[in-house]
Amino acid sequence: MDPTVAINERVDVVAVYRRGSETDVRCIPHRMRWRGQDIELTELALRHPTVQGKRMIHVFHVSDGSNNYRLEFDAEGLTWNLVAMMSGGLA
Amino acid sequence: MNYSLNPEAPKVMHIDLNSAFASAEQQAWPALRGRPMGVTNRLSKECCVIAASYEAKALGIKVGVRRTEAMALCPDFVMLETDPSKYTWMYQNLLRIMKDYSPNFTMKSIDEGVIDFHGVRLKRSLQDIGYEIKRRMKTEVGSSMRINVGIGPNRFLAKMAAGWHKPDGLDTLDSTNLIDFYKGIELEDITGIAEAFSARLRAVGIMTPLDFLAAETDFLRKRVFKSINGLYWHERLRGFEFDDQPTHLGMVGRQWVLKKASADDAWLRSCLHYLAETVGMKLRYRGVEARGVCVWMSFNSGGGWSDKRMLRASIYTNQDIWLQVSKLFDRRPKHMVIRTMGLYLYQLEPSTRSQLSMFDDVIKADYLTKAMDEINDFYGNFTIFAADTLIGSKNVKQKIPFGGTEYFNLLLKRA
Repeated sequence: MDPTVAINERVDVVAVYRRGSETDVRCIPHRMRWRGQDIELTELALRHPTVQGKRMIHVFHVSDGSNNYRLEFDAEGLTWNLVAMMSGGLA
Repeated sequence: MNYSLNPEAPKVMHIDLNSAFASAEQQAWPALRGRPMGVTNRLSKECCVIAASYEAKALGIKVGVRRTEAMALCPDFVMLETDPSKYTWMYQNLLRIMKDYSPNFTMKSIDEGVIDFHGVRLKRSLQDIGYEIKRRMKTEVGSSMRINVGIGPNRFLAKMAAGWHKPDGLDTLDSTNLIDFYKGIELEDITGIAEAFSARLRAVGIMTPLDFLAAETDFLRKRVFKSINGLYWHERLRGFEFDDQPTHLGMVGRQWVLKKASADDAWLRSCLHYLAETVGMKLRYRGVEARGVCVWMSFNSGGGWSDKRMLRASIYTNQDIWLQVSKLFDRRPKHMVIRTMGLYLYQLEPSTRSQLSMFDDVIKADYLTKAMDEINDFYGNFTIFAADTLIGSKNVKQKIPFGGTEYFNLLLKRA
């Protein structure tokens, strides 16, 4: 029914910062280390901001070509969290 | 037959995001693209689809279909809970793009808006602009985002044109093709004409949109609509503008469907108090005060109850609103198990709170309310709240509003 799996774990992320126009996404997560495994992120599907109280959170929906991930960057604590994932096969 | 259609070149553009919430989820989760999926407010056994992807719609899974029915139609059907922050971001992007083309634009709901090009110097056709907006939604928001664009001489025909070829269509309706368009549709296909209205039209011999168009103003006013609406429809169908007037604010309220029906007084009071505080926010956001209060509820066993009261003095602060609401709530039949409850404030009048009151305690209450609103504005949702609403705040969730966008900026601030 709902194929998303809640993770909520702190992860290491390598991000690329690009010079871009006002509407371009200028921060792109490139690689993530989760549970000792390096995952190459090949697609940034969607980025949108949200707030938790006064904390600005940037939500990045990314994919490694097979699985999809929801990463959240806390702009105050400067931390990356892997919030949820979805298997490409939806299993 | 001469229908006296508006001969003006179409200058109104209606933009409609196709399957907005489902498309947003398909954009965010590539694994969902091309699959039948939908979103719901709260996942439960009997939850309803509030937005379905085009793949789901092709299988007959439409808005309002229950989860069990959807699963019967398609065992692989995927259902996600709504993610308001994602949709508000889509809304903001659509708004940003629309602003680039005309200063005169209005969002009609979270996923549709109107751009009025009257008075705008155009260097290219509206069709060109429409295609550009479609392209920009795909490049600036996401490749899964498809929009329908309708162009017409008034808001009504622009909306009808936007619904002509779904998904991803762009159509123009004007005096040159309007008759052919009406020939190809049914009464129920007309925006604003649902089953009850079409039955009323058929009862007086109006069987098709062309019959509707041919009907005289007096006939529509006196026989069909029995009000000024007859004139509005007569003109609207011909492409003359009658829908650009701001609507009158008659009431401010909120309702809530309980996750589990209950008769627990303390729990219900906390939830209702929370609802009353959100209604207070809306009231002050619109800069009005209320003289009337109504509390209503429906029971699990069927039927319902409501009570209302007109006050001598208008109310404005959360404390005053809750005082009146709780008095009404205490009059309910207490043994009944409640399924849905809500409240609304009516008899609204412009707020005079900027004027100094003669009474010290009134000034203090106003200042306190203003200070609380400012703190909540800055620090987010319910940073300061009545302790009594603690249980309510954990149970009543803010959902995505489908109607007007009057409170959207308030929700964006407090989301």
